[in-house]
Amino acid sequence: MLKIEHLSFQYSRRSLPVLRDVSLELPAGQIGMLLGKNGAGKTTLFKIILGLLTPSEGRIELDGEDILSMPLRERARRIAYVPQHIHFGELSVYDSILMGRVSYFGLKAGTADHNAVEEIIREMGMEEFADRNAEHLSGGEKQKIAIARAMAQNPKLLVLDEPTGNLDISNEDLIITEAKALAEKKKISIISSMHDLNQALYMGDHFYFLKDGKIRCSGKEDIITEELIKEVYGIDSRIIAYENKKIILGGKHYV
Amino acid sequence: MSPKRDPFNQRRRKIRLLIILMAVFTVLLSVFCLFVGSSHMTFSDCIHALLRTGSASEVRIIWNIRIPRILAALIAGAGLSVSGLIMQTTLNNALASPSVLGVSNAAVFGANLSIIAFAGGFLSTGNNLSNYMTGSSPYAVSGMAFLFSAASVLLILGLCRVRSFSPNVVVLAGIAIGAVWTAATTILQFYATDVGLSAAVIWSFGDLGRATYRTDLIMLTVTAIGIICFSLGAWKYNALLSGDETAKSLGVHVDRLRFFSLLLASLITAVCVSFLGIIGFVGMICPHVMKKIIGQDHRSTIPASCLAGCLLLLLADTLARSIGRGSALPVGAVTSLLGAPFFIAIIFSGREKH
Repeated sequence: MLKIEHLSFQYSRRSLPVLRDVSLELPAGQIGMLLGKNGAGKTTLFKIILGLLTPSEGRIELDGEDILSMPLRERARRIAYVPQHIHFGELSVYDSILMGRVSYFGLKAGTADHNAVEEIIREMGMEEFADRNAEHLSGGEKQKIAIARAMAQNPKLLVLDEPTGNLDISNEDLIITEAKALAEKKKISIISSMHDLNQALYMGDHFYFLKDGKIRCSGKEDIITEELIKEVYGIDSRIIAYENKKIILGGKHYV
Repeated sequence: MSPKRDPFNQRRRKIRLLIILMAVFTVLLSVFCLFVGSSHMTFSDCIHALLRTGSASEVRIIWNIRIPRILAALIAGAGLSVSGLIMQTTLNNALASPSVLGVSNAAVFGANLSIIAFAGGFLSTGNNLSNYMTGSSPYAVSGMAFLFSAASVLLILGLCRVRSFSPNVVVLAGIAIGAVWTAATTILQFYATDVGLSAAVIWSFGDLGRATYRTDLIMLTVTAIGIICFSLGAWKYNALLSGDETAKSLGVHVDRLRFFSLLLASLITAVCVSFLGIIGFVGMICPHVMKKIIGQDHRSTIPASCLAGCLLLLLADTLARSIGRGSALPVGAVTSLLGAPFFIAIIFSGREKH
């Protein structure tokens, strides 16, 4: 379980706080969606979870372990990251995934590392293009390789930054399905940001709405209302039901 | 269960073969270079000199001039090239060179100071070349050049620590501090006597003829330590290619890696430049060419760049010794003349991504 308590962050003493007293809980094997406008503090929160920034206050626990005081290498064995813009430096798909084992092998990959990569390639159905140059593949395939690399870290928590941001509709579906399968089968907690609220509704179990660095509302799907969207995003919207599922129509065109 | 993947697939085998061929070619070219020079020794003269059965001057040419020179080309070529590769990776900048931290400018200033100010230069009233000969031992000039190079590196890294070694900050600080050294050199040269100025300018020409077994040993020690450290960190450099944030999330201490890599690469460059003078383009074009041919996997590009550096510097030095009609041309000029067209070809080839 991921537990964030009273987390605050500001870039300097003179600047305004980017995160203010953020607290949230995400059970193991569930997907949490971090939602809000650009500049709400989503990326900052991710950077703190990943150890790229140090909070001014607060605490982060993963399965009872204090993440903030954990060495980088230990943290990499527990938390994996899939960035929005992905580069592999012209390595093969196999080597790109093997890179996820760096925190385990340090200088040189061992048999256990190669076996772990083989297993991931098999499980994710990537045998056909495992020897190809990862940089030459499509956006969806790259995203899949980045998730496979993250899986090679054998994490308890997976951080996805706009995982479908640069993808077409078929690849969006592929990545969301992949993420849901990982959370369910491997009991990995996933925390993700996403701008498309309908995709977020489809993917997530828990929802955290950030505004001006504060969590305005969090909970299951039923918390999402037209009023909340108005408050967080500042736009009018309509929520309609289709086969017992919510569909959000946002903006002037629909309202 | 699917069959075990071949970790040495076809592409990796080809890369290995290329590296082996380059190594073999480097050995062959080194041997060939023993028999080429401006002294018009025949093949038989060279063999006799190698076996120490030739004339004293021929033995001296082979054992005291050509062999230390070839060794210097191999060591400095490998060192400058691998330093360039590491600079380009750690700074995520294709234009980064081994001298990005102002190493060369600082070395030139140090050498100028030693030659002009301390060895009978503007502090002396005489305009006599003998002042420079008696006052400046090659180790004093090289020592001063190294001292200022190392100081420049430490100063820039110290400053950049405040900004967590952000690549752009490192490059900009390098340019700024480099400009300070250049300005200081200009002022020093302005007050120099004609002979002092000549001696200082001639020092700055890259010249492998200054190499001795002792200087080769010092360069070899620093370069070998650097290459071993870089090779051990190959996976970490590969992780850096994915960006700083991803590399950190994979468990790589990016700031620490960047600091030690820049320090080591700069020290290799400082030692080479201090003993041999400025040798341009080796550290920039060799890594580029190898990355273009074999990709960016540092497990391969580190040894390949080293060998490419050896080959370029050997080739350039052989040309410099052969076309110099009695006296060898400065190798720094030849590497730039050979390297610049190559570099322009890379820029306009359209396949360059970074």
